[in-house]
Amino acid sequence: MHLPGTGLAGGVLHDMSAANYGDQPAAFGFLCAWIASALKTRTGPAVLITTRRALADLGQPYGPGLRQLGLDTSRLLIVETRNDKDAFWAAEEALRSEARPSVIAGVTSREIGLTASRRLNLAAAEFNTPLVSLHGPGPPELNAAATRWRIAAAAPVRDRFGALTDWRWHVTLERCRNGRPGAWLIEWCHVTHRFRLAESMADRSPVAGAGLLRAV
Amino acid sequence: MRAQACSAPSDSLNPKKPLVLVAPGKGGARIVALNRAACHSGLGVGDLLSNARSKVLALQARDADPASDAAALHRLALWALRYTPVVAAWDEASGANGLFLDITGCAHLFGGEERLLADLRARLHGFGLAPRLAIANTAGTAWAVAHYGHTDRMIVRSGDEAKALGDLPMAALRLSGNAQSLMRRLGFRRIGEIMNQPRAPFAARFDGHVLLRLDQAMGRAPEPLLPVVPPAVHRAQAMFVEPIMSTENVLVAARRLLVTLSQDLAVDDAGARVVRLLLFGVDGDVLPLDLGLAAPSRDPDHIVRLIALRLERLEHDLETGFGFEAAAIHVLVAETLTERQTGLSMSEDDASPDGLARLVDRLQQRLGHGAVRQLHPYQSHSPGRAEQVRSATPTPPRPEALSDQAASNAPAALRPLLLLPKPEEVQVVALIPDGPPRQFRWRGITHHVADAEGPERITPEWWRRTDDEERDYYVVEDVAGRLFWLYRHGLYGNRAASPQWFVHGVFP
Repeated sequence: MHLPGTGLAGGVLHDMSAANYGDQPAAFGFLCAWIASALKTRTGPAVLITTRRALADLGQPYGPGLRQLGLDTSRLLIVETRNDKDAFWAAEEALRSEARPSVIAGVTSREIGLTASRRLNLAAAEFNTPLVSLHGPGPPELNAAATRWRIAAAAPVRDRFGALTDWRWHVTLERCRNGRPGAWLIEWCHVTHRFRLAESMADRSPVAGAGLLRAV
Repeated sequence: MRAQACSAPSDSLNPKKPLVLVAPGKGGARIVALNRAACHSGLGVGDLLSNARSKVLALQARDADPASDAAALHRLALWALRYTPVVAAWDEASGANGLFLDITGCAHLFGGEERLLADLRARLHGFGLAPRLAIANTAGTAWAVAHYGHTDRMIVRSGDEAKALGDLPMAALRLSGNAQSLMRRLGFRRIGEIMNQPRAPFAARFDGHVLLRLDQAMGRAPEPLLPVVPPAVHRAQAMFVEPIMSTENVLVAARRLLVTLSQDLAVDDAGARVVRLLLFGVDGDVLPLDLGLAAPSRDPDHIVRLIALRLERLEHDLETGFGFEAAAIHVLVAETLTERQTGLSMSEDDASPDGLARLVDRLQQRLGHGAVRQLHPYQSHSPGRAEQVRSATPTPPRPEALSDQAASNAPAALRPLLLLPKPEEVQVVALIPDGPPRQFRWRGITHHVADAEGPERITPEWWRRTDDEERDYYVVEDVAGRLFWLYRHGLYGNRAASPQWFVHGVFP
């Protein structure tokens, strides 16, 4: 077991970042896949908060693509803010709202700082809502996130005819409170809309695999 | 009032000495407004400035500024909302100037019409204005009495219109200059002289204009007025003994008003959609704040919260002013909102049905309108039109219906997760001209293509008028495992030059 308990805990802040500049779309895709899986198990809308700068290079979230990922866009609220400070304010506002969002994800250009992360941690703890902050690549900052993930693109799975089937990511857990770090190759099944460990890694102990499935 | 409004911000003007406002006219600058001292010196509206200067020594003249006049009048009109919800500014079309307050059903709140007039006069004097006020049953009579009537008979009782108007000069009917001079030539000087004349000759001679104004003044013809603000569905107002300055006090006052309003709204089974908070400053300035709500609501706490967020966004600080002596809340748009059961279970964890709407409201108040969006599928095969981004609406999602819609809308071919707002051109090396790229250069980085899937040919929608051409889309994977959505613009062979390639989106 790499993650404590049964997986990515709700009620705390998780920190994700792209490994490199070019991996930002991959990291965003991983985040969207994670939102899609969270929407399946929890009730309430998902709130995706982005700053104008964070996605300026990459374009806008595209509904048909998100739906192919299995994300129910009718339950997705996209909030665009001018700067990171507003984004963290919006995250806290969403956390404390009566709408009881199932999951809150923030995409910012810079990593969340210590004060903001502690504040969000405290707010998230009250409602057991999972909270993820995704930001661009850069040296890690000091903050109160429970886990820190680094996402890199990986060649997608192709079937024997060469057609694309599943997305894949190199996922590194760099820090985990009460857990052990690790690295996995994770793929997103387009049929069941679930994360799973890639086959090449499937000789791990079943416990680890099961833990991660529940984790993400 | 016109001269006063303009003279207020000036530097070295002496209002006791003759002062005129001039505008370019026939034969040079002509006087458009003048103060009492200038009037006593024998000047009049329409005189040439050069003639006036020779008549009056040390005449103060300034350029007329109609835009500032109109703005000042509008501010005064907003201020007058403290007396009644219907305030209209007279315009050129009605042939008059000034403000019209519909005090139907409002006078008793101030202790009767006399006390209302006295209060209004005192406050306007406080602003440095010299108002002429009158109350009458019709707007036309009120205007006539205010401008030409005797200062001790400013309130015209119902039925006394004919008596009040009879002694007034023809100009009190808001006639044009031509009509007035014609009347003078015909020997009519007082309104009473034409009241009992046969109507037909007047109608023939004056295009019905004189009779219309007379009828409007007598209440026989309607006179529509355009209020400066749309009349509110519900309103509540509070006057303060001491001016309030701090944001907290404003919020406390707004809350008290909203509690009153929520009872009115509950009686109507309605909730507010558009709310306007008016803060009346001691200096006569009015600060209007408009709030739009995503869903009808009559919850004072929620609306107060939105007001707090809106006040945060104000450019200047509330506390730098002189304070506010009154506050009003108008509900401009109300929609049906029936009582809802809040739930059988007492557990706190249940998501409230209005929760999402309130969250959207709060986010929009701080981040601006349009910051909260939802993606809606749209039936179109053109990638740029296949979705609509709309401002979030709080309609609760119906899972079954929407997932059906989503499934029917999902295209079979892969779509990117992030779509560039505008496709970006790339330099491409392809093995064969109409084949997939082998290598491409985007934003200064060369990507070697490991694999490509496609083409998926998307033709522009012929029923829409576009200059677009067919596009061949490829899903291209580079050696690092990153995926891009590239397309070739136009069919190969249709154009002489080498084909252009664009990146339109990226995959995870």
